[in-house]
Amino acid sequence: MKAGPEDGELVAMTLQGNSEAFATLVERYDRAVYHLSYRMLHNVEDARDATQEAFFKAFRSLRTFRAGAKFSTWVFAIAYHACCDRLARRKHDASDELPDRADPAKGPEAEAIALDEASRLRRAIDALPEKYRAVVTLFHLQGRQYEEIATVLGLPMGTVKTHLFRAKEQLRRLLDGMEVTES
Amino acid sequence: MTMHDADRPLDALDRAILGLALEEPPSGLRASILLATAYRPAPPFSFWELALLGALGAVAVWFAALLILGGGALFVHTVATIASAATSALSNGATLAWLAAGGATAVWLSLFTVSQPVAHASHRSGPRNVP
Repeated sequence: MKAGPEDGELVAMTLQGNSEAFATLVERYDRAVYHLSYRMLHNVEDARDATQEAFFKAFRSLRTFRAGAKFSTWVFAIAYHACCDRLARRKHDASDELPDRADPAKGPEAEAIALDEASRLRRAIDALPEKYRAVVTLFHLQGRQYEEIATVLGLPMGTVKTHLFRAKEQLRRLLDGMEVTES
Repeated sequence: MTMHDADRPLDALDRAILGLALEEPPSGLRASILLATAYRPAPPFSFWELALLGALGAVAVWFAALLILGGGALFVHTVATIASAATSALSNGATLAWLAAGGATAVWLSLFTVSQPVAHASHRSGPRNVP
């Protein structure tokens, strides 16, 4: 539960020149936006840049924020598009044929750490195709607010549910495969 | 199993996904976001101050060029010509009337466009768009 003013009030206060109000919004959502960016991009620096870009664009375009909408959905959508731009640039770059699956900051020690259930799940999510990874990550961040997820992804709600269903099927298969490999 | 079993109660996988911890952002991320947005230092000059300084600078350069190229005589002649043109224009009743009308319109419009967008921004009802 969020303490303090609602997001919509904070947006209105920011528009009236209250810097602290926007700082509160950043404090509320920077971690979630970074999480979304990191899950999409698998790279600390890119995720950091995408997160900064998302908040910068949100701040600059705050006047276009529709009253009654959810700030989290709005900023997730901006971040998701920033990630898509970066992924498209990576694909365009011939030297980047294989996506970065591993965070370059993580060394062999991290790899050596025994995988607990959460780590296995995280790795399985990272192994999903991009569209499924996005929907699972947003499900993680927003719960079963399919309409909000659909808004972020710019997809019909039925497609979101279908993607989530298929993503979970793939996740189950991947997790089963990991168990077999580890045992 | 139907395609939309996402409508069903949360299963173990759902709960595991929802229970995952968020990634830890790199240190300094929040500070850099705030420095680029809410706590960005105000520029030393506003747009209008810069425009005024630029205009004054241009006039100064123009005066200097007049003095250098033509000496005092050209400078005095040019300034006298401009002053005479301005005086004749401002002594014309129609010109003054148009200037007054333009000024009044600008003041009237500023009452709507300068002080109110902030108040209206939170009541927008148009479609949301991602910048």
